[in-house]
Amino acid sequence: MKNIVIAGYARSPFTPAYKGALATVRADELTAQVVKALVNESGINPNDIEDLILGCAFPEGEQGLNIARLVVYLAELPVSVAGLTINRFCGSSMQAIHIAAGAIQMNAGDAFICAGVESMSRVPMGGFNILPHPELYKKYPQAYIGMGETAENLALKYHISRAEQEAFALLSQKKTYAAQQQGLLSNEIIPINRPNAESVQIDGCLRPESTAQGMSELQPSFLKYGSITAATSSPLTDGAAAVLVCSEDYADKHRLNKLARIRSIAVSACLPEIMGIGPVSATHKALARANLSLSDIDIVELNEAFAAQSLSVLKELNISPEKLNIDGGAIALGHPLGASGARITGKAASLLQRENKQFALATMCIGGGQGIATILEACHEH
Amino acid sequence: MNIEKVAVIGAGVMGSGIAAHIANAGISVYLLDIVPKEGGNRNAIAEGAISKMLKNTPYAFMHPKNARLVTPGNIEDDLEKLSQVDWVIEAVIENPSIKQSLYQKLSRVCRPDTLISSNTSTLPLSVLTEHQDALFKRRFMITHFFNPPRYMRLLELVSPTELDPNLLQMVKSFADLSLGKGCILCKDTPGFIANRIGTYWLQTAVLEAISHKLSIEQCDAVMSLFGVPKTGVFGLLDLIGLDLMPHILNNFKQTLKPDDPLYAIADIPPLLQSMIEQGNTGRKGNGGFYRLQPGSKHKLKESINLQLGEYSLSNRFQIKGASFKTKDLQAFLDDEGVLNRYAWRVWSKTLCYAAELVNEIADDITAIDSAMKLGYNWRLGPFELIGHLGIDWLTHKLEKEQLALPEILFSRQDLYIIQDNTLHYKDKSNRYHPVQRPEGVLLLSDIKLQSRPILENAAASLWDIGDGIVCFEFHSKMNTQSIDSMALLEASIKKVSADYLGMVIHNEADHFSAGANLTLLTPAILAQDWETLKSIVQLGQNTLRTLKYAPFPVVAAPTGLALGGGCEILLHCDAIQAHAELYTGLVEVSVGLIPGWGGCKELLRRWQSNPRCPKGPLPAIAQTFETIGLAKVSQSAQEAKELLFLAKTDGITMNKDRLLEAAKTRTLALSHDYQPPEQAIYNLPGQSAFSALDIAINNLYLSGKATVYDVEITKQLAKVLSGGDTDITEALSEQDMLDLELEAFLYLLQQPGTLARLEHMLTTGKPLRN
Repeated sequence: MKNIVIAGYARSPFTPAYKGALATVRADELTAQVVKALVNESGINPNDIEDLILGCAFPEGEQGLNIARLVVYLAELPVSVAGLTINRFCGSSMQAIHIAAGAIQMNAGDAFICAGVESMSRVPMGGFNILPHPELYKKYPQAYIGMGETAENLALKYHISRAEQEAFALLSQKKTYAAQQQGLLSNEIIPINRPNAESVQIDGCLRPESTAQGMSELQPSFLKYGSITAATSSPLTDGAAAVLVCSEDYADKHRLNKLARIRSIAVSACLPEIMGIGPVSATHKALARANLSLSDIDIVELNEAFAAQSLSVLKELNISPEKLNIDGGAIALGHPLGASGARITGKAASLLQRENKQFALATMCIGGGQGIATILEACHEH
Repeated sequence: MNIEKVAVIGAGVMGSGIAAHIANAGISVYLLDIVPKEGGNRNAIAEGAISKMLKNTPYAFMHPKNARLVTPGNIEDDLEKLSQVDWVIEAVIENPSIKQSLYQKLSRVCRPDTLISSNTSTLPLSVLTEHQDALFKRRFMITHFFNPPRYMRLLELVSPTELDPNLLQMVKSFADLSLGKGCILCKDTPGFIANRIGTYWLQTAVLEAISHKLSIEQCDAVMSLFGVPKTGVFGLLDLIGLDLMPHILNNFKQTLKPDDPLYAIADIPPLLQSMIEQGNTGRKGNGGFYRLQPGSKHKLKESINLQLGEYSLSNRFQIKGASFKTKDLQAFLDDEGVLNRYAWRVWSKTLCYAAELVNEIADDITAIDSAMKLGYNWRLGPFELIGHLGIDWLTHKLEKEQLALPEILFSRQDLYIIQDNTLHYKDKSNRYHPVQRPEGVLLLSDIKLQSRPILENAAASLWDIGDGIVCFEFHSKMNTQSIDSMALLEASIKKVSADYLGMVIHNEADHFSAGANLTLLTPAILAQDWETLKSIVQLGQNTLRTLKYAPFPVVAAPTGLALGGGCEILLHCDAIQAHAELYTGLVEVSVGLIPGWGGCKELLRRWQSNPRCPKGPLPAIAQTFETIGLAKVSQSAQEAKELLFLAKTDGITMNKDRLLEAAKTRTLALSHDYQPPEQAIYNLPGQSAFSALDIAINNLYLSGKATVYDVEITKQLAKVLSGGDTDITEALSEQDMLDLELEAFLYLLQQPGTLARLEHMLTTGKPLRN
């Protein structure tokens, strides 16, 4: 088996859909600026890149037409770099990393850009033309269940109170804001240039003014008598993220900055009406494949689709709070669907370096009833 | 000379409202106020006024984006910018020295041909122009708007003799064409026209109410019987704000001669004084004569007892057996009951006061009638009301009651007559003069005085408005649609096909049409007479289809409400020339139904051909579904364009009096080589689109945003808009779509939920959310 490494990570600022600073920027343009900067910063010879694999949950409209290939042109990469757009909803860009890892094992290339993007301002969640299979919808309506409702189901199943969710969300806001204030996010952010406007440099979804009292006064968002509100859900977000994935041999040969080795990968599936629990089985599979146990893991990046969903996962997986989402999570930072997988994997790899730790887990739930997980091991120079 | 840029100084309620309405006309405007004393943002006052207007109803802006045309500023930093503007409107505090010193500054920065006007309602022109030089008087006048400036149509103009006639013409033409105002030239007398008579009427009505020991509900009902808006007297005072009354009355006290009848009554009654002191100043305060019960969740309405000054639950009061008809009003005033005496005392005094003032405040009676109609929304002006009551009857009654007859009534000759097919008014020397309409103003009411309808029945009439064009007029209560109106429309289409070039659909009521007459439906539902109901729906469908494909152009010219069936009529016309104040929408869901006269298919077709709509089979369906499902109603004609009830090419007329002429011109233009539209074809995704909408409906239900019966209705709507059991590869005709509408409509009519909604609407006038 070859060693496969993450040798670079970058992302755009994450800003709120519609009202945020990136609402006016097309998804292809947004991704291209991030990819271009990543290639420059990583020092890779762009001619060596086999493929640009781009995850996107709603690849239509401005995100359509095999956006990955178009990003190659926009980022002014050599025309020899191929482009592949993939979709596993929220797991899309983590899946991009997995595909690259598989290809490298098959000797089908040495270096890959694995990216993800979602402009939730410009392509609505669900896309422009939702047209469900009428018979499937009748027989098995949960195939098309709304995400908020799945989180309500988990809150019921795991007896997670609204107050617990709000405490989790408030902590997410606090951790994210602290990281932002300490400059721990700025080194991963690529400023995004906009036509006739200032460039965008900072994350825009954070609500540092949040209070427990304020959160407790919000109306439920999905069920009339439910417990999930806007404050305990990740916001609709615009953003892009990318990592450089290559064989360790290639990285060493070209003296790239290795952040972490990919120890194992997994996807799993569960009932769609409790899709948020997906990370549990995916994590178990990945741990088994890495021959590790959860206690070996030092850093965990668990995507916070909803507070109730994250708390449900934490009831099944014993993860101590000081390891979890230490720079904050998606409830505060935002969740541009296709981009989040690359963000948490790149973040986990970076944190292994910064915190000088050995193993990291990045995992997330996926609409339709799936989970995805990646286990990383730090590449420390000895 | 054209007005291309305006400035308003003073961002109070009036100044900011005027600025917003100028923006509604598409003209950029500076809104300046003083720099706040407490420091901070120097434009805070003007900026605050703009954001307040974006929130508060009734909306000052016809569309929120119009706010971008208003540039906020302050008079210290931005005065130089006024060198760019063509008109400066001063709307600062009613203090002559503050105004005069502002005029000094304006004279320095403004171009010599810039008009400067004051929106004063109390200060005479002579005071404002005191110590000003001749140059200033050449460019200064009073332009008095009424509150709220967007909605009240009156603009009182008072100009010095020295005013440059070009400037007067410029402002008149801009106010008329672009702002939609009725400009009335007033003499320089206290309160000008409308507030002089209006204040006398209000004050008389309050004092007489107290002395007759009546409830405020009784008084307001009596007043509205005479064509005054439903707010009557006390509801109107709540709107104006009771705290303004002492200023208004005090000002009349200072400026009127002591023998003026208003002078004698211009004292604030003790009850009002104590209400003001307690903060009960009206709708903007803690409520006024009427209020919502404090702390009540159920929005219970309370009213004050004029004798005791205490609030109790308000009792709705209706006057039975009387209408606005002459005989009814005469009989009502002749009766000896306390309400009847009250009405007589108020109206005899008010009409006589107006009659005494004719030459003092205006050139003629038409100016006074127009001012009261445009400024106070009276159905008839005082002299028209005298005519409506009958001059003989009124003068006899005045004499019988030993009241002095005003000079203009001495001769007992009619104040208005028709001569040579034209309306004429009488002056004090008993001479008649034709009522002049400005060029571009065509009134159906004038045509009705001169001619007989080509066709008519109880619900509608067809009028020849010249040049080969006819006007189809609804005239039922609220202009609701019925078998009669559809039958006459069908007959009119035949008539016009044979003898005329085109048709305008228009009426001069406040509202174009409130939709189908719901009272037709409920008896048939209760009798389970589904065949009759089916035939009513098909009659509408067939008539509107005939209208759409008629061999001549049809242009609708709506104003006010055009709801449900009224909106469906608009959707079937070749073009719409809308009054700017158009409130239109397909609101059938609020009575448990969906549009059944082709409204679904027409709005869907508009969304499908709209370039703004994302591509693919679903977006147009989803947009139409949302517009009908949420019963969206435009807050202006400008917004109706955004909702696609109006096409991009449809016209908007600001001045209601110019609507018919504009629509006629449009019809004539379309009549050259007219070709009826081509039949539309619909390729719809059927069940898969239905499933997508069903998911959305269920999510709305789960989140508590849709009720159980909302779900039932919107599923039927989803079925129609997705094309029923069709497939994207199949082409549906308009008739297929009409059949789907009919099927869904009849299904809903048979549901108890729809009957409950219909009955609730008919009894309470409000929608039921079952």
